[in-house]
Amino acid sequence: MAEQREDSAVLKTSEGGAAPQGGVTVEQEVGKPTQVKGDVAKSGKESLLGLLGAMKVEVTNKKKLKNLKAKQRYEPAVKPNPAALESTISMFQKATAESSAHSETLDPDLVAAASAAASTLPNQSQAESELLRQLRRHEAVTEAQRKGDMSNLGVIIADMKVGRRPNRQNARPANQIRFDDDGQGYTHDRSITAELDGVRRRRNLFSGKRLGIFSPTTDEDKTPPPPAKPTIWDVDFANHLVLSTNQMPRNGFEEMIQWTREGKLWQYPVNNEAGLEEEASVPFHEHVFLEKHLEEGFPSQGPVRHFMELVVSGLSKNPYVTVQQKKEHIAWFRDYFQQKTDILQEADVYLN
Amino acid sequence: LMMFLSNRSKEAVLEALASTVNRDPTAYKYQFQDDPYLAPRTSAEFKLFSLSQESGRSAAKYFINSNPKFFTKDFAEPHIPCLMPEKVSLLLEEVSEEALKERISLRKVKAAVDMYDQLLQAGTGVSMETTHDLLDLICLYSDREPVQEGGPETEDVSAEEANRSKGRIRRASDFLKTIWRENNNAERIFNLLPERDTHCYSALIRGMIRHGAYVKAFDMYTDMLNNRMTADVRIFNALISGAPEVREKYNERWDLIAELLNQMNQQKVQPNLLTFNSVLKALRRCGSLARTQALHTLSEMKALGIAPSLASFDHTLAAFYKAGKHSDITLHTDLLQEVMSELAGSSFTCQDPDDGKLWSVCLDNKDIELAYRVQSLVEAGENWRLLGDSHQQTIYYGRFFSLLCMMEHIDVVLKWYRKLIPSLYYPNVQGMRDLLQALDTDSRLDLLPTIWKDIQLLGHANKSELIEELLALMARETHSPEVQESFAVCALDVKSVFNGDRGTLSLEWSTSALCHITSLLLRAKRTQEAWEMLQLFKAKNRVPSEELMNEFLLECHAAGAPDRAVELVQLSAAFCLPATPRLAQQTLKDFDLTDEQR
Repeated sequence: MAEQREDSAVLKTSEGGAAPQGGVTVEQEVGKPTQVKGDVAKSGKESLLGLLGAMKVEVTNKKKLKNLKAKQRYEPAVKPNPAALESTISMFQKATAESSAHSETLDPDLVAAASAAASTLPNQSQAESELLRQLRRHEAVTEAQRKGDMSNLGVIIADMKVGRRPNRQNARPANQIRFDDDGQGYTHDRSITAELDGVRRRRNLFSGKRLGIFSPTTDEDKTPPPPAKPTIWDVDFANHLVLSTNQMPRNGFEEMIQWTREGKLWQYPVNNEAGLEEEASVPFHEHVFLEKHLEEGFPSQGPVRHFMELVVSGLSKNPYVTVQQKKEHIAWFRDYFQQKTDILQEADVYLN
Repeated sequence: LMMFLSNRSKEAVLEALASTVNRDPTAYKYQFQDDPYLAPRTSAEFKLFSLSQESGRSAAKYFINSNPKFFTKDFAEPHIPCLMPEKVSLLLEEVSEEALKERISLRKVKAAVDMYDQLLQAGTGVSMETTHDLLDLICLYSDREPVQEGGPETEDVSAEEANRSKGRIRRASDFLKTIWRENNNAERIFNLLPERDTHCYSALIRGMIRHGAYVKAFDMYTDMLNNRMTADVRIFNALISGAPEVREKYNERWDLIAELLNQMNQQKVQPNLLTFNSVLKALRRCGSLARTQALHTLSEMKALGIAPSLASFDHTLAAFYKAGKHSDITLHTDLLQEVMSELAGSSFTCQDPDDGKLWSVCLDNKDIELAYRVQSLVEAGENWRLLGDSHQQTIYYGRFFSLLCMMEHIDVVLKWYRKLIPSLYYPNVQGMRDLLQALDTDSRLDLLPTIWKDIQLLGHANKSELIEELLALMARETHSPEVQESFAVCALDVKSVFNGDRGTLSLEWSTSALCHITSLLLRAKRTQEAWEMLQLFKAKNRVPSEELMNEFLLECHAAGAPDRAVELVQLSAAFCLPATPRLAQQTLKDFDLTDEQR
């Protein structure tokens, strides 16, 4: 229901400030009848009708025409169900049935209310014509509603949006003149108006009515989905993206950046130990002091020990082999000498 | 945190260095800076050279991958994985899920399907994850094998590929319109599955939409709804993009899209950027409905906090653009202005493959200020990358340059000319003609010989209409002597081109070309050459114009060569020119002729 409130806010501000600010309090009335409805499928139409019903209240001045407001407030309030809105429609129908064409005459009460409201404003005649214009538009909308044609409604509302700003129309002829002539003479004019355009129109791109289908999620709702494994579709999409942009390097530096990303080039500033990260975690003494591996499985004296000490001293000077590999090397020798125990015993080597 | 920092600092030094370097407009593209002989001077050469570079790279990769036994020694420390041979052939042969996964990862569709069938027959269950991957694979390729990227790129590419003149490796499957065959393996496997979850449906639906089976996709979606399953955002994106194909009328299409969006909301699926971009893209096919709804969609995106990408604006502008109708152009331009203010100052990354098309669209009107804004946006940061491949770039710069020629003073045009050409853009014949027009408008025809040199460099010297225009502009008025002299030199140059002296294809001589060249030579007082030209007329069966004969006569008179004048009259008689009697009379009057000559 938040979006309906938003919609009403949008339509209200769009009235160009001619409507009295007494309309602000009406928002609550807008809320009440619309909240009562439960049917999601029809909510669009109904909310619009509710809005329109409330809008008629908007244009009246709350101080002077409380009775009028009371009458209209009463009616939406006692109609909590969708079926009852039909009577609201019929109220409109009655109002319009009395008048011949929908654009010409309005409910005299409304007209009186409008003129009364306008009289409180400084620029009376203009305000009054504005108000009446608004009312006529609402009538048109309800006409369309009655006929059940939603697309017309959309067009009408869009037109309402466009027609709202009289100053915009003044700018149009100038635009048209500009494009009648391909010559260069209007370049200067264009720059000034372009800036004005930028200032004035910037909000229009996004300030229009929304589709009103989705609602922005709050942060609690937005639990980040578990990062899914990139499927083949994602890979394909990424491929498309890469193909549609221009990845060629423009100079040598960009080429080097590309190579760095691919892993073909050293990272600057050059770190001598790049690629040796796991080795960084191994303390040096495990490389160098390998005698402790000789404590078990080998005799403590004799040619075998002598040999193994030479092996260990060689290994300790070897920077190319990981600690694990060195340990495996020693373990291999351990197994080897274990297997050859009988030969060693025959050769009278002192085994301990 | 350490990993993050190290990732940033990996290229930081290089990026800092790169930021000190600007583009050199006098240099050719960096990838060709090798041998100056091999610098591309025309767009055809550019195409050829880029293709050959890519071809070389892919040939090398192919050799490495197909002969891995020769590339086992790893010299590099630290190890460089991308230079080592990749696994392209299957290793596992037994019937197992591992083997199936291997086939899937190597994208061998048929082998994977066979392995899956074998696994089913053997009674072994296959995990859901692997089934998902299998279905994804089959659906992506519509049950066909993907074209192998290992083969070297040849130069006889298909017609569509030739349009994309940059030589990137493109899969033929991108261009071939693959069809979703009835009851193919994907559907068969899908139907055999005991239970199907959203991912399975997603694979099938997306595959169907991608390969043209739109109605089926919607049927499958209804199926899903009947089974009380919720779809995910990708399914909805695919369905929305397929909506214009399953409905005929504009409002029906929009109704379908709106209904899908509503269902998306009901199923609590959050839309993303691609959802809205699909909506906007589909709206392009919804006629006049598109205008209001496109703006509504943009507002919706704003409300949900999804920033529109360039493609969103491209689709929105397309909805407003109707060539010809006056008021619509105004609306379109207003919208363009707004879009440009919205985009100003940002730097973009590509989020949608259609992002690159926005720039060319922005230039598709007559607003030079807007064009400058677009150009400054393109030049900022890395945004130029979004211009896309060289075909897109050519369109963009082509439009920009012709707009400049039309709207700006010649000095500005020439400034941009030097900046853009040929480092970024090789103009086509129309571009050169626009430039000639601009020169003419601002009366800088003295620059024509220089432009002629550029035309030759760009490889347009064999385009007859361009040469005709050039000659016509040169010969139209008389200029100061230095200019005339330079024109004459240029004219002789053109003559040699026509004669095929350069080894290029010779052009057909046309009357106007002959006339113009001759009169240019005459004006520069190169009489002898001019006479030679007259002989050429005879040789090529072309008739000289009356003005030309008059000019000759005047010249003869000035040089005091009566025999030449007689020759002229004789020549004119030979051509049966209507002016012959008049010429004869003039000759008689102006010259003292001997009796013989009479």
